[in-house]
Amino acid sequence: MTVDERLTHARWTEALRDGRLLGQRCSECDTVTATPEAACPACGARGLETIDLPTSGIVHTATTIEVSPTEFDAGYRVAVIDLETDGGARVTARLEGEASIGDRVELTDVLEVRETVPVFS
Amino acid sequence: MEGASVVGVGMTDFGVHDQPLPELFADAAFEAMDDAGADADVIDAFYLGNAMGGQTESDTHLAPTLASHIGLAGIPCSRFEDACATSSNAFKHAVEAVRAGTHDVVLVGGVERCTPSTGLETPEMTAIFASASHRQYEQPTGLTFPGVFGLLTTRHMHEHGTTEEHLAEIAVKNHANGTLNSRAQFGKETTVEAVLDSPVVASPFRLLDCCPFSDGASAVVVANAAGASTLTGDPVTVAGVGHATDVIPLAEKADLTATQSARDAASQAYEQAGIGPADVDVVELHDCFTGAEVLAIEALGLVEDGEGGPASARGETALDGRIPVNPSGGLKAKGHPIGATGAAQIVELVEHLRGEAGERQVEDASTGLAHNLGGDAGTTIVSILEVAR
Ligand SMILES: [Zn+2]
Ligand SMILES: [Zn+2]
Repeated sequence: MTVDERLTHARWTEALRDGRLLGQRCSECDTVTATPEAACPACGARGLETIDLPTSGIVHTATTIEVSPTEFDAGYRVAVIDLETDGGARVTARLEGEASIGDRVELTDVLEVRETVPVFS
Repeated sequence: MEGASVVGVGMTDFGVHDQPLPELFADAAFEAMDDAGADADVIDAFYLGNAMGGQTESDTHLAPTLASHIGLAGIPCSRFEDACATSSNAFKHAVEAVRAGTHDVVLVGGVERCTPSTGLETPEMTAIFASASHRQYEQPTGLTFPGVFGLLTTRHMHEHGTTEEHLAEIAVKNHANGTLNSRAQFGKETTVEAVLDSPVVASPFRLLDCCPFSDGASAVVVANAAGASTLTGDPVTVAGVGHATDVIPLAEKADLTATQSARDAASQAYEQAGIGPADVDVVELHDCFTGAEVLAIEALGLVEDGEGGPASARGETALDGRIPVNPSGGLKAKGHPIGATGAAQIVELVEHLRGEAGERQVEDASTGLAHNLGGDAGTTIVSILEVAR
């Protein structure tokens, strides 16, 4: 589905809470991003179409954090998930379970500390 | 366009300093000004690197404050902030200002305190460091800076077979170099076993893969020909400075193992200097984590892509190797007071190019390269210095 107005952090967050991952496709170069921008990071074009991204993807890389900042309890994983779109969208997320690079994971939850971010497992 | 040179250098020991920032910085600044033979009245401008003083010490508008403390009130003062690449960016702007003739003599400095001397313990400081990642799409995942480089390095290990042992060898090498540097925070050797036995901070990094929290200050005096002619310091030529950025957040970077901003900054610097990687004799680079050194030596063209781990383990980057990397001990052993790191790399290179690096001197070094990376490689500045001809 497509939406007219530019994707904002607030709308992205609201959608994520409903289990949807919104992204943007550049009308000039077809680059797809998984978090909102005001212009395309690849070509600078402002014509960005808001799109629904897949809620399933492949672990591109991951790390286990054993020394955490305040507000977080150490012993969790953070990963970059490749959403396998034509435009190459990836998103940084919490990763639950044992999946490693190359494994398929699904958007299953959100984490809400200060902001809302995706959790894959 | 005029040429630029570094005419004076100074730095404090890196470690723990229970001193206010102005007093800490004065120790480095006066050493650099005295080395240059520059009294306060010949300094035309002051460019400062301080990344986090507002967060760590409730201290902002620092450039004129520090300038006042060292007798430079009145001149134009600017503070730069680009995470760990902070004082290299100050250096770059000083070089451009003297090349353009806007100023003849510029004092460049960096100062930062990151140890518990600030009153902040590891969780608070980890949170402040993490503020260099994306506020909406990275920080709320609990990503830390060891975690950022953990993501990049884990991908490198997957693509190229880099191992934890390769990473540990880099810590061992930089610790060994640090034993020869009286200003280094860590003056002790370590072993591969000790690195692999230390606790995990963010996989694949263990405690001994990570640079420490450090306090410290550094300063260099940059001048054009007109400025240098009034000074007595032994000049080293600035042959090139490259500066590039990459997309933040890191998930949007095209290639997580490329550190593309380093490749772009290096090409600019090599082109300005009219040299290539094979012409470099000594390198100071941004090894905030052992994996960062692997990515950096590949990005700078010192080794083939994918060979960073094995080449390091073979000793190619050791002090007596094919291309010595981080003779100072690097961030790993020398320490990493964020805003002071970039200018301190210039201090180290100048000492090698003057033949004044003592026990860790790289023999006959005539070309040195500094690589200073900020954030997730969102910024990199590469500077090339040469013995003055
Ligand atoms: Zn585009
Ligand atoms: Zn750093």
